[in-house]
Amino acid sequence: MVNVASFENLTEQEKYAHFMERINKGEKIEAEDWMPDDYRMNLIKLISMHGISEIMGALPEKEWVPKAPTLHRKLAIMAKVQDEMGHGQLLLRVAEDLMKPLGKNREDIMQDLFTKRLKFHNVFHMPAPTWADAAIIAWLVDGAAILTQTMLLKTSYGPYGRALKRICQEESFHAKHGESLVLALASGTTYQKKMLQEALNRWWESLLVFFGPKSAKVVGHSKVDINIKYKIRSKTNEELRQEFLTKYVPKIKKLGLIIPDETLRFDEEKGEWVYQEPDWKKFKEITKGNGPMTDNRLALRRESYENTKWVREALTHVKDKKILVG
Amino acid sequence: MVKEFYQEYEVFSRRRSDLSLEHRFSILAPNLEMAYVLAKENFFRREQIHDLWVVKRSDIRKMTEEEREAFKRLDNKHYRETKGYADLPSKWRKLEAMNTGGEVQ
Repeated sequence: MVNVASFENLTEQEKYAHFMERINKGEKIEAEDWMPDDYRMNLIKLISMHGISEIMGALPEKEWVPKAPTLHRKLAIMAKVQDEMGHGQLLLRVAEDLMKPLGKNREDIMQDLFTKRLKFHNVFHMPAPTWADAAIIAWLVDGAAILTQTMLLKTSYGPYGRALKRICQEESFHAKHGESLVLALASGTTYQKKMLQEALNRWWESLLVFFGPKSAKVVGHSKVDINIKYKIRSKTNEELRQEFLTKYVPKIKKLGLIIPDETLRFDEEKGEWVYQEPDWKKFKEITKGNGPMTDNRLALRRESYENTKWVREALTHVKDKKILVG
Repeated sequence: MVKEFYQEYEVFSRRRSDLSLEHRFSILAPNLEMAYVLAKENFFRREQIHDLWVVKRSDIRKMTEEEREAFKRLDNKHYRETKGYADLPSKWRKLEAMNTGGEVQ
């Protein structure tokens, strides 16, 4: 154990060794702790993308708030949209504290989003044309997100783990909400069943892509290895995808739906699911900012940001009125 | 303007009157009142709470990494804790045996 009482006097190598010792002991790293640059940069990349995806992810669902079929459904989907924005707020706070030493803040995150430098999740570039799409998003997109986020609960970065703890609690409501939506449609009229099947067909490939490629070779880059080394994450993309298939394929079949992949089967020998590889090139293009709904959703976000600018300006003139306690 | 617009606030809440305050998370807000409003909106859309505090982060003195490490090494405080007195039942038994003139030792 290095003598940390004189931490300032340690060389960079000694600081790194101490950092790795903490990581390997399962200790959590805090925002002001010493950390290697690549740890910080990977966290910023991962968490700012996660945070902004929560915010962009609220947009396809928000379209369905005015059109929800009953009052109960309207209240529930509205609550979910609020939760997603809240998750975005939590995660952006985590990213902002990491960016602070680099002189960056929330304004930079928003500008990076508008100029497409900051990417958001592939699924949120896609259209949600029917109520069944809202159901598939809530059940399966959130289901996929829950698996990823549960894996990340044990992350080596303390603030991220604490944010995720809260997020996962609220996500369990989203999963129930989604399950309730698909159950209603699957036990409804022929038209409702057809609508649900069509939504599943639209989303299936995106759902497989959600977890990312098997290896860096597929898309030319990947941060998975370094994230595992620093215990930021504990499972690979493929492990998560396999978990997703094991959890949801039987349920999808039970609903009477057909999965749009004839090659999908569980290989007993290998003990894993075999599936049709998604078109990774197409999805790389989408996350680069060229998806069917990318510009539309970014325009919505930008418009909202611009329209509320006067509120932010007005608030700069408000002085704190102290409410004294005790 | 934008750079200084947001301040960092830490959010604490007390779930019930018989419980201690708990740290919830941090939040960005332009002033204390907005921090309170946003904290309520952001963290308590479902759960009931008894009390809510927002504190400007710059007013908080936190532990540094060194201080946290140094604090860990303060051990051997058994004399301050009940677990440092685990031998009491056997001492009672010994005393009892001694007083009844039974087999001492």
